[in-house]
Amino acid sequence: MLLARWPLRTFLPREWMSVLRLLIAVPVDLRRYAAASALVAIAACGERAAPSPPGGVAVRDDFGRVVRIAAPPTRIVSLNPSTTELLFAIGAGAKVVGRTEYDQWPDSARLVPSVGPGMRPNLEAVLQRRPDLVILYASGADRVTADRLTAAGVAVVALRNDHISDFGRVTMILGRLLGDTVRARTVVDSVTTTLDRVRRATAPLPKPTVFIHAWEKPLITIGGGSFMSELVTIAGARNIYDSLSAPSPSVTLEDVVRRDPRYVLVSPIERDHLLATDRWKSLSAVREGRVLAYDTNLVARPSVKLGEAAVSLARLLHPGLELAR
Amino acid sequence: MRRFRWALIAIVLLVAVMLAIELGTIPLSPAEAWNALFDRGPSDAITVVQVLRLPRVVLAALIGAGLALSGAALQGSMRNPLAEPYLLGVSGGAAVGAVLAVSLGLAATLVPLAAFAGAILAVVVAFFVAHAAGSRGDPRILLMAGVVVGAFANSVIMLVLGTAPSATVRDAIWWMMGSVAAATWAQSAWLAAYLLIGGGALFAWAREIDVLGLGDDAAAALGVDPERSARRVYVAASLLAAATVAAAGLVGFVGLVVPHIVRGMGVSRHRALLAGSALVGAALVVLADLAARTLRPPTELPLGAVTAIVGVPFFLARLRRLT
Repeated sequence: MLLARWPLRTFLPREWMSVLRLLIAVPVDLRRYAAASALVAIAACGERAAPSPPGGVAVRDDFGRVVRIAAPPTRIVSLNPSTTELLFAIGAGAKVVGRTEYDQWPDSARLVPSVGPGMRPNLEAVLQRRPDLVILYASGADRVTADRLTAAGVAVVALRNDHISDFGRVTMILGRLLGDTVRARTVVDSVTTTLDRVRRATAPLPKPTVFIHAWEKPLITIGGGSFMSELVTIAGARNIYDSLSAPSPSVTLEDVVRRDPRYVLVSPIERDHLLATDRWKSLSAVREGRVLAYDTNLVARPSVKLGEAAVSLARLLHPGLELAR
Repeated sequence: MRRFRWALIAIVLLVAVMLAIELGTIPLSPAEAWNALFDRGPSDAITVVQVLRLPRVVLAALIGAGLALSGAALQGSMRNPLAEPYLLGVSGGAAVGAVLAVSLGLAATLVPLAAFAGAILAVVVAFFVAHAAGSRGDPRILLMAGVVVGAFANSVIMLVLGTAPSATVRDAIWWMMGSVAAATWAQSAWLAAYLLIGGGALFAWAREIDVLGLGDDAAAALGVDPERSARRVYVAASLLAAATVAAAGLVGFVGLVVPHIVRGMGVSRHRALLAGSALVGAALVVLADLAARTLRPPTELPLGAVTAIVGVPFFLARLRRLT
């Protein structure tokens, strides 16, 4: 299907075609892992030809499509809060001309016109911003959006950043798209360094168990499929539901009681509710006041704040923790 | 079977309640669970039984009884085997009330009130639509008016949720799927009061519902004003259903299926049918909640979906016998 749709041969340099053919030939399972290394090769071609690469940049996005951009984009619409935040972090904030109403970070992002909700975005509102690049979350529902925007002649890159390991990859893809991998590399390095620092500081400490309270009605927690569970691990604790693959499963309170977590992590507004509810008092962590309010502004998104989020969680879970500079 | 049906219903309800208290993700022996009910044994077991399980079981039983009573009374007074509270716009109205309250950011304690108000409003609107159409108590027109109001309510919900942030959607969907996971004794006390009043009224009118089944003319000949009688049954039944929705959201299928199950046991007089439906409805929802919290541990399934899955086999068995 990929081959049938592509008139790529017509406008790609010959040496690129061999790389692409390689990508397509690799079995599907391997392709995901091979993509990263192959992309380095592609990007290297682009970077060598800087400042204005004649062939432009090609990246493989998380729908598995290779998106090729002739010149660095100047008008970007980002339909995902964490990629919007990343774009500002790597110095491309001035090029963001559209965002969703949930993209509130950093503060300056709020000055960018909103094109409405992030799920099922209004295509006309997106196109009205006259973007030359649209970045969206690689969910099944967004595939149709991506196809239609592509058909409308706009470059679309779909990115999935569910895990901490995605952060570096996604940031570097954004950097390559914008023709500035140096800045992107700096952001990735600073977050990675902070995460490593927290990892090292908590490594020798005991690992208390934690229940992450994400929602009250229904009772939703965070499973191993979410970056938040990884953050808790880095911060030197163990999420009692890290074995569940779903990112946000609904669980019974009785099962939480059975697992008897040492701490409950909860958003600040729900903390008082938990402490005052009879049902919740059947949990020893609530009865004995080990209910920790996490900073919702830091912990809620897998973005440039990952490092800070890990620091704040580690300090919450291990009071008096010394973090080496 | 006929002779022992009351014993059977009582045993089923009793077994359902015992199982629901005994089973859960925390393993307890039957003796431990039983002792914990009476404050005996280890404090952990007492907490599990009295704080985590009992409030759910009691609220589930009350929800089931209320919905089944409401359905039995409506099917009888409207002479329609499809009549049930949710078909009259109660569910749609309650969901609109809850969704609006959630999306306006009202306090969590006000959401049940909004759901209750929405349900009552929908019933009143349906009633006036039918009246304006000149129904004069014609149950078919009343049913159609209810369906229209319900459809309208559904589209309002979709309009609101279509542009709502995901937190609102999550809260709203919780309402529409029903749950007794957050059960409190206060909720059960309120619902019990409604059950006493609404259910008591329906029991008092059980004879009239029997007579309504004979047709309007026969009813009039027997000294029953069919329009007035059907109207007050309608009001009491929707009040009951609205109270259950306010306590636990939408728990589908119970109001429709339970009266049919009880009729299948050979009960036809409405005094007995109402009593039987209340008990079987209680057992059905208690079992459904037990399934919802134990089938796929540690996750919890939506109660409203499980009631349908538990209820469908009974309903199919009953349908086969009817045809």
